[in-house]
Amino acid sequence: MIGSPASVASPGSHPPSVPQWLLQQDVALCPCGCIGKRKKGSYLAKTIQGGAKLLQQVMFGEDVAAARGVLQRIDPRVKLMSLIGLLVVAGLSHSMITLAVMYAATLGLAAASALPIAFFIKRVWLFVPIFTGIVVLPATLSVVTPGDIVVTLWHWHGTPEGITQQGLLAAGRLVARVAVSISLVVLLTLTTPWIRLLAALRSLGVPRIFILIIGMAYRYLFLLLTSVTDMYQARQARTPGTPRHDRRARAFLGASVGTLLGKANQLSEEVHQAMTARGYRGDAKSLEQPRFHPADAYYLGSVVIFAAVMMIGDHLLGR
Amino acid sequence: MAAEADADAAATGQISTPRWAEPDGEPILEASGLHYAYLDRYPALTDVSFTIQRGQRVALLGANGCGKSTLLKILDGLIFASQGSYSAFGQPVTEDTMEDVQMSEGFRSRIGFVFQNSDAQVFSPTVREEIAFGPLQLGISREDTASRVEDITRMLGITDLLDRAPYQLSGGQKKKVAIATVLVMGPEVLLFDEPTAALDPRTQYWLMDLIEQLGNAGKTIVHATHDLDALYRIADRCLIFSEDHRIVAEGTPEQILADRQLLLQVNLIHEHSTLPTPPQPPLEPLHRGKR
Repeated sequence: MIGSPASVASPGSHPPSVPQWLLQQDVALCPCGCIGKRKKGSYLAKTIQGGAKLLQQVMFGEDVAAARGVLQRIDPRVKLMSLIGLLVVAGLSHSMITLAVMYAATLGLAAASALPIAFFIKRVWLFVPIFTGIVVLPATLSVVTPGDIVVTLWHWHGTPEGITQQGLLAAGRLVARVAVSISLVVLLTLTTPWIRLLAALRSLGVPRIFILIIGMAYRYLFLLLTSVTDMYQARQARTPGTPRHDRRARAFLGASVGTLLGKANQLSEEVHQAMTARGYRGDAKSLEQPRFHPADAYYLGSVVIFAAVMMIGDHLLGR
Repeated sequence: MAAEADADAAATGQISTPRWAEPDGEPILEASGLHYAYLDRYPALTDVSFTIQRGQRVALLGANGCGKSTLLKILDGLIFASQGSYSAFGQPVTEDTMEDVQMSEGFRSRIGFVFQNSDAQVFSPTVREEIAFGPLQLGISREDTASRVEDITRMLGITDLLDRAPYQLSGGQKKKVAIATVLVMGPEVLLFDEPTAALDPRTQYWLMDLIEQLGNAGKTIVHATHDLDALYRIADRCLIFSEDHRIVAEGTPEQILADRQLLLQVNLIHEHSTLPTPPQPPLEPLHRGKR
């Protein structure tokens, strides 16, 4: 039966009154034509474009992870254990020759896993300056690493000070270690689908909450990048002429960050609810059954032998 | 067992007798005096009470912001009312009871929720992993899950999407995948939030056909909507929300759509709107067999 509508709100169906200026058919601005001054895109535009590029890279990364290369055939758990072992070896190596051999090996594995070498090298060397730049530069100076001066920068009480040979060697060793380590990590992440990597981490005893947080962060990244792009494009569509790099631009950036945080919060809640609704309790489970194949044993054996050879070689080559 | 039989029937296209047609159907979802407010300040539900019986197809009708989506989330045990009680399948659904693993797994496997925002629901690297997510979480073996994924994608006609990334899909495709992720769990109760919103006409009709078929197969369906055109096809009963977040009326689609004043008051139609008419039986061809 139909009940009686109690205390319902008014429909508010009055037509909106349109202001007169909106009804006039004026030409809004100057006529079209490429006669004005041109400016390069702002830092904001470049950041947004960078975000869009990241999306493309990840899409490309998923394709690479699905390719039929050497590392793609190896069980993610084996790859993860090998990675940890090789990271320790790289961290303990002192000889530049050992590190160079290890780096060459990562390039060889990248090629065998159908990764474009140029892309792989670029991806690794993009991060090396970020991780090492600030730390390494002071280490090259004689005030931090005393030794034979190669480049004199100033004098202190008549003594030349500057970049030392020992400092350069220490810096080079650090850069090489970081490059090898990042290459190993990039090899793993590019040849393993994300969900299988999470499952591997979980099976090796990484706490459930940690898996939950990184899994969610990865998922939100894409939706938030899309939101950022949409917000920027919506602003661009309402900005005649060249965008300025002034206070208003900074204010827009601040407001966008705030809006994005709000959206992120709302989205995180909704995604979590969607996962909970389908029985998620913190464990990342994959459809693909992880199985230990003979290839995994060969790979693991090769990695152990390689690591042993590197350690012995490094010891023999001395420091 | 009944749920499995229903899932099989839906998957194979065999339609059993609708249980909602049976008198005195078994109460399956019961809510009494529900109140909910966001941040304890913005009310979303005020004193909401109803009972939904097994096999019913219920439409929650109301204007934007009247509390339909909030109610669906409460029905799915995702948020909990600040006052009042809600029980499903005879068991109280509270924050405390949902922490019980057995209760939680049983509840999640029996109620499926298709969100309005498909982006929130489709988050795995591939469509195949996405559809397999729910059954795997509920402890169904990988072999059975893979088999279910094949069956459900064949039924929904999305087999060609299986190895694609969800963010590469169109809005309609995402909605189909979102529905597959829920149907694959074989739930007894299906909750749809604005199912036809932002879909093109062909996908809208496809979805209405599906809801109709699932209802005929005995599934209990609750959907939030303000689309009156689809009511005759996808609902047996309507609960009408006012803009002050209360249920102000309930009845069959025929009864509700006949009350123009009510629909105007709750902001479901405009004074110039034309209301949909009940579906007519197909016309008998004249002079059959004669020239």
